Amino acid sequence: MSVETIVTDKAGLQKFYEAIIAKNETYAPVEKFGKYDFKLVKNLSECDPESPIAKTMSAKPLFFPRSAKIMKYVATSAGTDVSETDEDPLAGKRVIVGMKHCDARALQVLDKVYNWDFIDTDYQKRRLNTVVISTRCDKAETHCFCTSLDYDVENLDAMDVLIVNGNDGKVYIKSKSEKGIEFLNSGVTSHTSRVTEEAAGEELKKQYTAFSASFRLKMDYKSINEKLSKIFDTPEFENVSSNCVSCNTCAFVCPTCHCFKISDEKVKDTGVRYKSYDSCNNGYFTLMAGGHNPRPAKYRRWRQRAMHKFVYYKERFGENLCVGCGKCTTSCPVNISIFEVINQVSK
Amino acid sequence: MEQLLVPMICKIDKVIQETPDVRTYRLKFKEEGLMEKFNWMPGQFVEFSLLGSGECTFCIASSVTRKGYFDCSIKRAGVVTADIHTLLDEGDEVGIRGPYGNWFPLDDIKGKNLLFVGGGIGLAPLRSLIQYCIDNRNDYKDFTILYGARTSADMCYKEEIKEWQENKSLKVILTIDRPEESWTSNVGVVPKILEEVVKPEIANTKVITCGPPIMIKYTIQSLLKLGFADKDIITTLEMKMQCGLGKCGRCNIGSTYVCKDGPVFTNEQLKKLPDEF
Ligand SMILES: Cc1cc2nc3c(=O)[nH]c(=O)nc-3n(C[C@H](O)[C@H](O)[C@H](O)COP(=O)(O)OP(=O)(O)OC[C@H]3O[C@@H](n4cnc5c(N)ncnc54)[C@H](O)[C@@H]3O)c2cc1C
Ligand code: SF4
Ligand code: SF4
Ligand code: FES
Repeated sequence: MSVETIVTDKAGLQKFYEAIIAKNETYAPVEKFGKYDFKLVKNLSECDPESPIAKTMSAKPLFFPRSAKIMKYVATSAGTDVSETDEDPLAGKRVIVGMKHCDARALQVLDKVYNWDFIDTDYQKRRLNTVVISTRCDKAETHCFCTSLDYDVENLDAMDVLIVNGNDGKVYIKSKSEKGIEFLNSGVTSHTSRVTEEAAGEELKKQYTAFSASFRLKMDYKSINEKLSKIFDTPEFENVSSNCVSCNTCAFVCPTCHCFKISDEKVKDTGVRYKSYDSCNNGYFTLMAGGHNPRPAKYRRWRQRAMHKFVYYKERFGENLCVGCGKCTTSCPVNISIFEVINQVSK
Repeated sequence: MEQLLVPMICKIDKVIQETPDVRTYRLKFKEEGLMEKFNWMPGQFVEFSLLGSGECTFCIASSVTRKGYFDCSIKRAGVVTADIHTLLDEGDEVGIRGPYGNWFPLDDIKGKNLLFVGGGIGLAPLRSLIQYCIDNRNDYKDFTILYGARTSADMCYKEEIKEWQENKSLKVILTIDRPEESWTSNVGVVPKILEEVVKPEIANTKVITCGPPIMIKYTIQSLLKLGFADKDIITTLEMKMQCGLGKCGRCNIGSTYVCKDGPVFTNEQLKKLPDEF
C-alpha cells in the first residue's frame, strides 16, 4: 500500500471525525472549565479536535496515567496475596484525534525510556494499540517553540495520520505510517478524492511555510545544547529559579516528563500500590533517609530539570526531552518560561 | 496495571539482630521453584516491600554461591525501615523485585589481591562479594578485610567475622571509633587504620569499599594518597531510588542511571559524573 492523501473540506473533516468516533474507541479533547483533557468520546459534539495547545492537557496520561494502580493486595498474618488489578482500560485498540505534533513527538521521546533494558510492556501495549491522529497547527501560540528543536516537525514516527488545514480552504488527510494507511482504509472515510503525495505536496508545503513563520520564539538548538552541556556551575541557575514555588505543575502538564513515585495505601488488610507522577522540582525528590539530599536547593533542582531536558536525555537516548509545546510556561503560577531559562543561562 | 513494578512474595526464614539498629532478614521465595531460578551477582540490589508501608532499596547481602536463600541487612533509617524492624519477623511475608543494577567487576578482580574496606552497614554489599570470593578463593591472591564501626556493638555479622578471622587465608582487621573496655583490636577511623595499620600493597590490588558517605569520601582520599589508581578503587553508590529499573528518573546523575549503570562504580567513573552528590 502506498502513502496517500485524501483531500476534502471542513464538512468532510467533520464527517471523518464522526465516522472515527462511531467505529472506534476514540479519545479527543473535551472541554471542562475552559480547559481541555483527552477523554473517551461517543459524539463529535462532546469534543473539539482543534482545541488550542495552551488550554489542552497533553495526551500523555493515556499512555502514562497520572496515577495508576500497580496492584491490589491483601496482607494479613495468614499471608500475603497480591492480585493483579482490574483490566488496563488503556490497553485496547483505540484512536486519538486532536493531538498536535508536539504531543506526538513526545510519545516518540517517551518510547526511548520505556523501551530500553526493562521493557515496560504495559506502556508498549498502549502505544501499539493506538492510532495517533495529529493535526498540524495553523499558527504558533504564545509559548510554542517546537520548530526550534532537534526534530523535524513534519516527520514523526509516532504520527499515524496527519491532518492539515490548507490555506486553500481544503483539508488534507494524510497517512504517515503503515498503521495509518490501514486505518484510512478501515471504512472511516468514504472520500474518493485521493491524490498522490506530489499533488498534495505543494499546498502542504505552503501551509508549513506560513506556520513556521508564525513563531514568536526561535533559538538555535545546537548551540544551546552545546553551551548548556558546559555550564553546570553557572550561578545564573539561581536567578532563573528564584521565583519557583516547587509546585511541580510544570512536570505534571509536560508531555515528556516521566518521573514517578511508588506509594502504598492500606486500609485494614487491603492495600493498593500506586505509580503516580512526581517531579525533580520536588524538594524531597532526592532526599534520602538520614537527611542527605544531593539537590537541597531550588536552583539545583531547576538545573536538573533544564539539563535533563536539553542535555542528559539527548546524551543518553539521542532525543531532546523537551518538545517545545510551552504547556509548562502557560501553567506555571509564577510565569517561569523554560525557553527563557535555557536561553538566559546559556547566554 | 503496571506489571514491571509488581513484586514476588518472599517468606522470612530467619531474622538476625546484628546491631541495635540493623537486622538481617533471610528470605526465600514463597512460590515453589522460584528460589532456584533467582540468580544474582554480588553488588546487585532488590526492591523490598513491606506491603502497606512501602518499598525500599537494599543490596543483596549474601552470595549466590550460598544456595537456597538470600539476605537483606536493613538499618533502621526512616519510615519504612522502622516499620520493617517493628513489624517483620520470622514467617512473615514481604514483596521482592529484582535483582537490579550492575555488579562488582568480577573479571577485573580475578587474579588480584583484594582489599575490602567497609564501614557500618556498608559491609552488607561487600559481604555478598566477600562470600563469593571466599567460595572461589583460588581465583584471588591476598585477601584483606578492613571493617570499622562506631562502637563494637555496631558491628554487623559478628558471628561470620569470627569465621573470617579463623580462616587462615584471610586477613581481617577491625576497628572502632573510640576505645572501649575489653576491645583489643584497633581504635580509630577507617582511613587512619588503612594508612597506619593495613598499609596495603598497591601493585595488583583492587580495593572494594562501601560505608557511610563521609567514610567513603575520606577512604578514597587515603587510597589515592597511598598511590592507588582511580580505576582500582571500586565502590557502590547510594542514590535515592524508587523503581530500580531505569524508568522513574529518581536516581539520575547526569545521563547516568545509578540503578542501571550502577550502583557499582570505579572511582574513575565517579569522577566523570556531574558533581551532584
Ligand atoms: C543501591 C542501594 C543499596 C542499599 N542497600 C542498603 C542495605 O543493604 N541496607 C540498608 O539498610 N540500606 C540500604 N540502602 C539504603 C536504603 O535504601 C534506605 O535506607 C531506605 O530506603 C530508607 O527507607 P525509609 O523508608 O526507612 O526512609 P525514609 O527516609 O522514610 O524514605 C522514604 C522512601 O524514600 C526512599 N529512600 C530513602 N532513603 C533512600 C536511600 N538512601 N536510598 C534509596 N532510597 C531511599 C525509599 O523508597 C523509602 O521508602 C541502599 C540504598 C541503595 C540506593
Ligand atoms: S518542558 Fe515545557 S515546553 Fe518542554 S515539552 Fe515539557 S511542557 Fe512542553
Ligand atoms: S510550575 Fe513554575 S513554580 Fe511550579 S515547579 Fe514548575 S517552574 Fe516552579
Ligand atoms: S531508581 Fe528509577 S530510574 Fe533509577
